[in-house]
Amino acid sequence: MAKSEDCIHILQGLLVFGNVVIGMCGIALTAECIYFVSDPHGLYPLLEATENDDIYAAAWIGIFVGFALFALSILGIIGIIKSDRTLLLVYIILMLITFAFEMASCITAATHRDFLTPDLFLKQMLERYQKAEPANNNDKWMIEGVTKTWDKLMLQNHCCGVLGPSDWQEYTSAFRFTHNDADFPWPRKCCVMDAQGLPVNLDGCKLGVPGYYNSNGCYDAISGPVNTHAWGVAWFGFAILCWIFCVLLGTMFYWSGIEY
Amino acid sequence: MCSSWVVAVFCCLGQLCADQSLKPQIAAPQLATNNPTLTTVALEKPFCVFDSSLHPNKSYTIYLYAMKESASATSSLVTDGSSKPLDSTFQQTNGGQLGPYKAAAFHVPSCATPPRLVDAGDVSKVSDVLKQYLFRVGDDGTCLYDPNFLDVCNPPLAPDTTYRFKYVLIDSTEGTVKDQTLWSDPIKTRRVKHASQVDTWPGQRSGAMIVITSILSVLLFLLLAGILAAVSWAVRRAEGPSAEARCTPQTAQPSDPRPEVGSK
Repeated sequence: MAKSEDCIHILQGLLVFGNVVIGMCGIALTAECIYFVSDPHGLYPLLEATENDDIYAAAWIGIFVGFALFALSILGIIGIIKSDRTLLLVYIILMLITFAFEMASCITAATHRDFLTPDLFLKQMLERYQKAEPANNNDKWMIEGVTKTWDKLMLQNHCCGVLGPSDWQEYTSAFRFTHNDADFPWPRKCCVMDAQGLPVNLDGCKLGVPGYYNSNGCYDAISGPVNTHAWGVAWFGFAILCWIFCVLLGTMFYWSGIEY
Repeated sequence: MCSSWVVAVFCCLGQLCADQSLKPQIAAPQLATNNPTLTTVALEKPFCVFDSSLHPNKSYTIYLYAMKESASATSSLVTDGSSKPLDSTFQQTNGGQLGPYKAAAFHVPSCATPPRLVDAGDVSKVSDVLKQYLFRVGDDGTCLYDPNFLDVCNPPLAPDTTYRFKYVLIDSTEGTVKDQTLWSDPIKTRRVKHASQVDTWPGQRSGAMIVITSILSVLLFLLLAGILAAVSWAVRRAEGPSAEARCTPQTAQPSDPRPEVGSK
């Protein structure tokens, strides 16, 4: 029976180790998702206006899944050491539910990342940036969010428009209704600013003289953080789920072998 | 043919040409990249164009006339019968539709000391360079609606329309036309698309999303199959007589007593 005893101990050790890793990954997932939900780059208003903000929903699910994984891993460790059938059955069922939630979070993050194309942001920018007459309170909220976010983006990243300042020239926009093309071929924030926040040379900016206006687009500044967010949630969650799969299979095998 | 190539090369070096039959040119694209816009066109001022008609002791002004290309069929004269320049405004010609209108009046640009385009990189000099080198037709958005405005009004042009321009040299004291360039090549203002035409369809699904979805679905299925197998195996084992001995974890007390052999 020594061989069976060793076998049991090895399996127990492996499962305890697996659960320890799940607990730590759960904490890491919670921390990562809290970081993403806190929106350090301030891009949430843009996504809210496009009505495609489900990568934030995926991050919220990730926060709670992380806590659940941590708690369940402790339950699992206790159950394995005590070899208690009831505890382990509860552990397996709850872990399956958590698996399903985390799976939803990963798939949501990966799928909704695909919707965030440059044209989506372009349409939002043209339709909402500095729109003068909001249709209702929701529209007003989104307009303020989009305008403030774009102003901040253009100032901090020295960029203009989504693909370039020519976005403002090629399409009609809410901005164009209230600002005529002769004075404002593009918003003032697209001009190179001096220390006081005024354009260095307004005529140079309007004419497009190199060095007096920002000629590159802001899409990179938007898609960088959004990609980090989506891939961070989706792929880290996927990795955790693969590990949980192995641990759960081992636990089921262990459970099925426990004597009554 | 050869001389026009030489002239073109000369122009490209930033030297300004001295041929009288030249037409008004659009401003250098490397300097004014946003040109023409929806409602404005920036033109190079006529450097060294009228020099052969200038007398040293007289003062001259240059007038800029603009008209829509469709108007060239009806009338394209900028003088009335007695060599006086036409005094038409934007409103009178319906924005250049009925004939040329006067868009600007400025001094003759200096041929001897033209502005250097490289100075546009210098923040302190760029205003002067732009003012001396080019003129922006359509720059003033308010003069049409200002009743107190008395100067030459230069309102914004119409989008998606072809315009032609002409410079005319006027003797300031006599008020007569001394020289004029040809009408410029047709210059079209930009055309604009509606924002609702932007297509926001995301295209195909990315590979990452397909990998994640398919692999996770398979894993979940295997887990559910595993839990079912474990439960059914445990149920069968509870009903069945013989117990598996391999790798079976024992709970608190042993189930069968072992016969003691040779104790004490």
